[in-house]
Amino acid sequence: MSRSAVALGVLFAALLTLAASNARAADETDALFASGVAALHDGRPGDAVSAFEALADRGVVDPVASYDRGLAYVGRVRIGAEVPGDLGRAAHGFEEARDLARDGPLADDAGKALMIVRSEVARRRVRAGQPVEVDPGRSLSRSLARLLSEDTWSALAVASAAGLAVGLFVRWLGRAVRVRVGGGVAAAVAGPVLAVAVVMTLAMRHDRMYLREAVVVGPNARPTDEHGLAVPGATPLPQGARVEVVDASGPWQKVRFGAIEVRVAASSLRELARAD
Amino acid sequence: MKRWGAAWVAFAAAWLCLFGAVARAQHAPQMRIQLDADTVGVGDVVHVRVSASSSEAMPDDARLGATPGFSVRGQQAFPQTSFVSMNGVQSTTYTLQVTWSLVAERPGTFHIGGPSVSVGGVRYPSKPVAITVVAAGKAPQRAQQPQMPPGMQNPFNMSPFDPWKGFLQQFDPMDRAPPPEEQVAIDPKLSQVAPRGAMYFLHATVDKTSAAVGEQVLFTIYAYRDAEAGRFQADQDAGREPDVPDFVKHPLVADEKLGQVVGYAAIGGHVWEVTLAMKWALFPLHAGDLTIGPMHMGVARPASAAGPRTSESIVVHVAEPPIAGRPPGYTVGDVGRYSLSAEVKPREIEEGGAVGVHVEVLGSGNVPSAITTPARAGIEWLPAETHDDVGPKGQDDFGGKRTFDFVVRVHRPGTVDLGDMVLPYWNPIEKRYAVARAPLGAVHVTPSAAAATPGQDAPAELLPGMPPPRDALARSAVPHAHWDDTPAFWLAGVGVWPLAFGFAVAGRAVGRRAMGAWHRKRTSPAADLRERLAEATMACDKADARNADAAIARALEAASVAHAGVNIRGAVGSEVADRLARAGVARATAESVADLLRECEAARFAPDEADITHARSRWDRARGAIRGMEARV
Repeated sequence: MSRSAVALGVLFAALLTLAASNARAADETDALFASGVAALHDGRPGDAVSAFEALADRGVVDPVASYDRGLAYVGRVRIGAEVPGDLGRAAHGFEEARDLARDGPLADDAGKALMIVRSEVARRRVRAGQPVEVDPGRSLSRSLARLLSEDTWSALAVASAAGLAVGLFVRWLGRAVRVRVGGGVAAAVAGPVLAVAVVMTLAMRHDRMYLREAVVVGPNARPTDEHGLAVPGATPLPQGARVEVVDASGPWQKVRFGAIEVRVAASSLRELARAD
Repeated sequence: MKRWGAAWVAFAAAWLCLFGAVARAQHAPQMRIQLDADTVGVGDVVHVRVSASSSEAMPDDARLGATPGFSVRGQQAFPQTSFVSMNGVQSTTYTLQVTWSLVAERPGTFHIGGPSVSVGGVRYPSKPVAITVVAAGKAPQRAQQPQMPPGMQNPFNMSPFDPWKGFLQQFDPMDRAPPPEEQVAIDPKLSQVAPRGAMYFLHATVDKTSAAVGEQVLFTIYAYRDAEAGRFQADQDAGREPDVPDFVKHPLVADEKLGQVVGYAAIGGHVWEVTLAMKWALFPLHAGDLTIGPMHMGVARPASAAGPRTSESIVVHVAEPPIAGRPPGYTVGDVGRYSLSAEVKPREIEEGGAVGVHVEVLGSGNVPSAITTPARAGIEWLPAETHDDVGPKGQDDFGGKRTFDFVVRVHRPGTVDLGDMVLPYWNPIEKRYAVARAPLGAVHVTPSAAAATPGQDAPAELLPGMPPPRDALARSAVPHAHWDDTPAFWLAGVGVWPLAFGFAVAGRAVGRRAMGAWHRKRTSPAADLRERLAEATMACDKADARNADAAIARALEAASVAHAGVNIRGAVGSEVADRLARAGVARATAESVADLLRECEAARFAPDEADITHARSRWDRARGAIRGMEARV
């Protein structure tokens, strides 16, 4: 048997092993998801939580898994078996599902469930005499950037760049006055559009690559200094709030919640998974 | 007489021989040689001890002799003098104990020595000793520590919480003599390459340097005391426990048992008494390279040995157990070997009534302090009452039993399955996950009229209006590449269009400038001069003398413009020479140019036929004049 035949055989065996391993992992994922869904339907939210958390541990990033995980935590709250942090974890699941969802109905359901959970959190905070703001929303620039997807902004940047160049050429080389005016108008419109599209593309890319967001899952995420000492008079961040992680180093992470930046215990945060 | 004389001489000689032998025997020291092992592995340390005693003088200058197959690591000598008074008769014994530390270098049977000492200037040898060296790790286990005599019990009696408890009161034993050699067995496991401090030092060990989060790490600190050194005094303020902020710690040895002698070590030629200073089961709290800090102690006196003593800092690499195969409900940190049992009483209740659930978690490891209850609709688990019976298990393990007593209220009638108590854990020995499970079984709940009628203060439904769950994964969250991650997007997609326009505009401007420069270069006086010179040369090569003279005149005019910056066209008479001279041309050259112009003009317009030979001559002179003008420049 020639060396090349042996090498081919080894390669084939390796590919088979890889394929078998992938298939096994997929089977395990499906089985876990099925057991979680069955537990949800059977009124066993504790088992459902275990199953969906096991999926998350395995690195499964799927909007439905996140959404059902949120429902499992909600289920535990609803039957009176609430564990501290369940509402925050439910909000985390729904936020993640909303971010990952490609289909509108799932995103709508996740948004609706998120609103219900945050309403409950706000209600409890009112009872505790704490501020009711749970979701300060995103900044204006970030909201604008998220009006379109990153790929759409990219395509717009390419189109506006081409439009700008064509307009300028026409304005420059055209002989008829009408043509030259048309070229000038096209360039005048395409120029600002190009600037905005490039900035938004860069912003979206930066967010994709560097922005880390998390949800407060701890029931009492009290702001601290960098040494973990509670800041006097500071109000705990609300459970289920979405925050931007500014500095993830150390056990006390710096987060931005609305306009304020505070440090909270890393254990009271859970990072949002991303498809990228 | 003669015979008697011979007999006396023989007797005297015999007496002298006998007396000399006896005298010599009295001076010869008693020598005893000891090995702590006669078979060792390559790399092992073996100690050769020679004890030489003499009543005459202190033995000195001990020599081991040849050491084939071994290298000598160290030598330590202990001279000792003892006085004995018996029945009014005093005697003195001088003893020299010498210990050599040898390291076996290669397999084989080797004869060491024989060792020798000198007494009163006379050297006394002893027999060589044989040691067999086998491959590393193949040597037989050495003798274990024998029962220590009462006087050799630990003098430290240390506690990590009161490390110097009883130390000062009990430390007179430091006055005692070194332990008799035959009572001490050296434990090679306790040996060190070198002592970490004079007279006393600390040494920390762990049973593993990499562990899973929650896995027990056995952390031990030994205190080493030089058994043959004098007394010393501890620095009471220097004692401090190791800092282990990243671990849960559980002491495995009671305070009163700390300080027990665990063996003897031979280090640097000394015998060191090793006591247990601390033994903890440490459980890592999170992943990472976690540091176990040093234990601190201090010696106050004698001054020669005074100073702090610290054990080593140890780094343990901690990682989470693998994701693959992780069972649902596993909590990071649940590591060990556990079993679960549960008991439910009673099995029949009324709706809204309660049952008691008694759960026992038994095993070794950091027994979980909480257990997840099977949350189900209609079943309310009240907070558990917990009882602990955890502590050291055997010599080196931590574990025990933890019980959880729940009160569970059942709010729905019928046969209600309470579910299973489940404890997934990572077994670090078998390197796999396992699940301890205890089925709770079913409870028969009879309907209750009181429970069926909701009261006015019944709690409102929590979180109403939730959307339904989804039954199939979306499988849509697949990462994909983005255009803007590539340089090609920014260069070819976005940048190329404005760049093309910019290049076009810039290219046009550059082209215009290049054309202008070229044009200017083409019409410069120098270019004109080159053209005129070429024309004159060509004209002179031909036969037309008038044409040649005209070309020479034009060449001279062009040269005056190019080299002197003066236009002499149209100048008459001496004006030509004057203009050139004012422009800095040498007067002779200027006159020559003027003459040539006049000659050329005369020849051109002469009525007779012009001679080309003369014209060529003028051209030669003209070129000289042009060079003269050029030289001026």
